[in-house]
Amino acid sequence: MTAVHPARSAPGTVRLDPPYDWRAALLVLVAGFLLLLSGQRVQLDRFVALSGEAILAQLGFVEGSQVGRGLGRMVQSLFPVAVEERREVTRIADLDRDKLPAFARIERIETTRFELDRTTMALVPIVESKEYLVEPFGYLFRVFGKMVETIEIALWATILSVLLSAPIAVLAAANYTPHRALYYAARGLVSFLRAIPELVSALFLVLAFGFGPIAGILALGLHAAGFLGKFYAEDIEAADKKPQEALRALGASKLRVLRSAVLPQVAPAYVAYTLYILDRNVRMATVVGLVGAGGIGQELKGRYDLFEYDHVGTILVVIFATVFLLDQISARLRARLL
Amino acid sequence: MTLEVDHSPRVETPLLQFVEVAKTFADGTRALAGVTFAVPRAQFCVLLGPSGSGKSTLLRCVNGLVEPDRGTVRFDGLRLERRSLPSIRRRVAMVHQHFNLVERLPVGTNILTGALARVPAWRAYLHWFPRELRDKACALALRVGLEPHHLRRRVSELSGGQQQRVGIARAFLCDPDLLLADEPVASLDPATARDILELLREAARERATTVLCSLHQPELAHRFADRVLGLRSGRIVFDGPPERLDEAALARIYGDGLAAARLELAA
Ligand SMILES: Nc1ncnc2c1ncn2[C@@H]1O[C@H](COP(=O)(O)OP(=O)(O)O)[C@@H](O)[C@H]1O
Ligand SMILES: [Mg+2]
Repeated sequence: MTAVHPARSAPGTVRLDPPYDWRAALLVLVAGFLLLLSGQRVQLDRFVALSGEAILAQLGFVEGSQVGRGLGRMVQSLFPVAVEERREVTRIADLDRDKLPAFARIERIETTRFELDRTTMALVPIVESKEYLVEPFGYLFRVFGKMVETIEIALWATILSVLLSAPIAVLAAANYTPHRALYYAARGLVSFLRAIPELVSALFLVLAFGFGPIAGILALGLHAAGFLGKFYAEDIEAADKKPQEALRALGASKLRVLRSAVLPQVAPAYVAYTLYILDRNVRMATVVGLVGAGGIGQELKGRYDLFEYDHVGTILVVIFATVFLLDQISARLRARLL
Repeated sequence: MTLEVDHSPRVETPLLQFVEVAKTFADGTRALAGVTFAVPRAQFCVLLGPSGSGKSTLLRCVNGLVEPDRGTVRFDGLRLERRSLPSIRRRVAMVHQHFNLVERLPVGTNILTGALARVPAWRAYLHWFPRELRDKACALALRVGLEPHHLRRRVSELSGGQQQRVGIARAFLCDPDLLLADEPVASLDPATARDILELLREAARERATTVLCSLHQPELAHRFADRVLGLRSGRIVFDGPPERLDEAALARIYGDGLAAARLELAA
């Protein structure tokens, strides 16, 4: 189709055609038309209208917008975020008033409620007092704890995926697989693992292993094993053949050649893939928590269902800070290892 | 030429024997068209031929990187086949045109990979080579002209000539009986090429190692060979000492390329 190579038109003459012709132009037109059709199906026209309205409202041309109001409400309910933990004392089982947790205090709050007196038919004020145990940074610490659990889930999921995908990758590399059948089996397994979204497998794994981190680790680890298996295998296949041949000629077995001639070549890329998977697992671990697979996602879902949006705000801020921090760390690690 | 197994004492069998070896690649290229020769022990035998004449294919038939489709290869009287290949490979080392080193490993480890087939599995996988081998690798590195500070450097940080020195050290690490060298100096400048060939010949002499070395420059063959085998289109068209490498012989080996070859000889 695109003929940049010399083509012979008449004997003895060579000409260079331009890199595109009318067929390329037609292809672009058809693709554009299909995208327009598809855009309408996914309501992109509505999206453009709504965001246009929001921008006009911001500039003061029109009075308020649907998107602006929605976002405003959300931001108002998320902020200020919840930092303290406040619990009713009567609901805490064995509270030792002389040995409160660090920085904690007990607050007495009196509320006045009016009740109708049946005989006098007058509203009578009733004063109720409730005691609360207030931990000033209690909720923040709780969220930190959940975040640490999330990172632990992501870390173990990454370890699991590396351990699983390393042998799969050897079987799935055409030049190192011991048998054709094993090669196809490994390729199939890798595609299968990658095809199941973490959230879906987490749903089922929660049924099998109950609520908590096990389901999260397995869901994330299996999916990532599919990803790593494919990429590890492709790098093995693409590694420079010359040193492999040299070690083979010296009588080294396949596995020894793999270790000494292939592994050093592919190691930098493997580190990069694995760090990416760790990063992705931290983010996905918060998502699979939504279906009960442990970590901060589980906490997020609970608060969201109780309409405690200030707590949701705390969780979102902590997630953002963690992802940002991990990004910095992995960038440093990459720079040092490569 | 006899085809039976040779039972005479070791010293009398040639170390390497080719009998009517032929190889045609899957795409129909005939690289070797029936090659017969024998290399006695401790000889520095040069395989001379233009590019594409089948030198690499011939060398690769010796260590099983290429499987001939006709004829027999004998190493030390032992017929080369699937069963004998592992034991033969341990006694035959190879130096490559493009060095074929593991570029991201340090020089020292690259030399030690020469012993990869001879150490226990755990040592091979952990690269935890025994003390004697490490000492030997150091001594060899110095012998081939590397500096002590090179040992810890990555191979990719060395010059071409230094990389080939690493390749030679790796090849000699396990004291091979036969050293195959496939155009070991073709990627190097002329002065370095002479140094490297000099090193190869001296190191082989010290150990009485037999060398089968392919070259495409008659000048180098003339200077370093004990014996020259001329190869053209997969056939041996010359076999004799380098002094007999006259114009007629070169014409047989190079054909149309004779003019270029002569220029090189004069240089
Ligand atoms: N793996 C291969 N597949 C097909 N043809 C090959 C292969 N290796 C070498 N050849 C061909 O065989 C012939 C001899 O090649 P080679 O032994 O590399 O020659 P030399 O080393 O003397 O340059 C050439 O024509 C080359 O193109
Ligand atoms: Mg060659």
